[in-house]
Amino acid sequence: MKGRTFGAMAALSLLLLAAVLASLALGDLNLKPMEVLRALAGHGDDLARTVVWDIRLPRTLVGIAVGAGLAASGVAMQAFFRNALASPGLLGVSAGGALGAVAALTLGGAAVSIWTVPGASILGAFLATGAVVLLARRGASPEHLLLSGVALNAIFGAGTSFLLALSAGQFQVSGQILFWLMGGIENRTWEHVWIGLPPILLGCALMLPLGRPMNLLSLGEPSAQSLGVDVKRLRWQLIGLSTILTALATAVGGVVGFVGLVVPHLLRLAFGPDHRRLLPLSMLGGASLVLLCDLPTRFLPGGVRLGVMTALLGGPFLLWMLRRRPC
Amino acid sequence: MLTGGSVLAAQGLTLGTRLRDLSLSLEPGLLVAVVGPNGAGKSTLLQVLAGLLPAQGRIQWNGRELARIPFLERGRAMAWLGQESQAEFAFPVHEVVAQGRHAWGDDGRGVEAALAALDIGHLRDRPITQLSGGERRRVFLARALATGAPLQLWDEPTASLDVRHGLEVLKLAKGLTTGGATLLVSLHDLRTAFCFDRVLVLDQGALVGFGPPEQVLTPELIHAVFRVQARMAESLILELPS
Repeated sequence: MKGRTFGAMAALSLLLLAAVLASLALGDLNLKPMEVLRALAGHGDDLARTVVWDIRLPRTLVGIAVGAGLAASGVAMQAFFRNALASPGLLGVSAGGALGAVAALTLGGAAVSIWTVPGASILGAFLATGAVVLLARRGASPEHLLLSGVALNAIFGAGTSFLLALSAGQFQVSGQILFWLMGGIENRTWEHVWIGLPPILLGCALMLPLGRPMNLLSLGEPSAQSLGVDVKRLRWQLIGLSTILTALATAVGGVVGFVGLVVPHLLRLAFGPDHRRLLPLSMLGGASLVLLCDLPTRFLPGGVRLGVMTALLGGPFLLWMLRRRPC
Repeated sequence: MLTGGSVLAAQGLTLGTRLRDLSLSLEPGLLVAVVGPNGAGKSTLLQVLAGLLPAQGRIQWNGRELARIPFLERGRAMAWLGQESQAEFAFPVHEVVAQGRHAWGDDGRGVEAALAALDIGHLRDRPITQLSGGERRRVFLARALATGAPLQLWDEPTASLDVRHGLEVLKLAKGLTTGGATLLVSLHDLRTAFCFDRVLVLDQGALVGFGPPEQVLTPELIHAVFRVQARMAESLILELPS
């Protein structure tokens, strides 16, 4: 099994490497792999260097952060709820982030500073997290939290729809909002990288050692505690880390659905449910999926956004999963 | 009531109407049956004694206040088997049993012996989600066994087992007590309770009888607690082949 894990890690690392290279090479200006490497090293012509360093590298790094963060968050949510259909959006965190960003866009925040929309998104997501934490503090069961998430999603969704309707006459603003709600990593700058990448990588690193206790938790809370797991602390860690990862990913990438649901589930089917393997594999797989789904958006008409691509892949996958697992 | 020589002692346990001022003290090496009608508080008592459900009152394991024992240490001292044997994720059987060694740094000791003791060695690589209810039950029993904990609290371990595996689990429980372990096992079959060293009778959250089964399980008490007539008679006896 160790050999198989190593093989899977190596294969997914290679996939991510290939996705990174493709993400740096492909677009309006197609570059050869050697040109990309030269530009990364600071050599080659000015245009290639500018395209790689100022446009595609921030876009790629933000994609890695969004994909790894959402996938890790999905693994944690699925272990916490002991349900393979749980996803990062379940507790209303991404809906809160979306409402924050849409509010900032409606008020013209995008023109003020590049930090305004991500900042408002993080604020909205953290407000949602606060609501979740308040519920969790009162010792709510996973089922209770799940239904609270449904309610929070509805409330934040209503707010977002209201703001979207208000801005219907202002085409530029409503266009920005729609684009943001569909998720995307184009036009990202190094500021977005600094907002998203370091804290998401830190969150992922903090989650890795929780793989073993997550295995025990996923077979029942009381039995995990009887075997020596501090379940209360673990629940806090999982809720905290997964909401923060989702909040940051939403802040820099908009609403990108299905990554947190599909990636862990697919890798679990392929390599088993052991969270010590599943966590790093999902981080690699999530980052690769986001980068690969971002590629067609560069060539297809403007409406085909990252969120559309991940949903186009994820929706049919979910239907296939439901066919395999009768309710 | 809290005495130094007891492996498990409780005083004044109260949890709403589910447990009412319950006190007990168990010496090491006893096999104790917990009986009572539905809703009498059997599962609640086992969860409270295992430290999984907070209740008023004091609990001591080996003379130490339970509240002060760190979680990892609890995992080495006590094993708890709940009634639920559901599993959502397809962990292989041997990995589930190996979880019993979590508090021991996953050293894997006793895992093979536990698989053999519960007759699930042939299922070791099967995903737990593909097993029958009785097979899953034996996997979780093996996990409790693999902990090597001297205090074992099992909630209806034989509920979904066939006759032979049910008898084998009881034999296993007796074997553990000869090694010095203490077991609290909740049951519905009063006839089986006669094979135990002690029986603890609960009714509406209160302790109404505790002692050797032949002294406690009298027709009068059975009638008062279970609302049935009891009489001694010859009947079918099921035993493991010697």
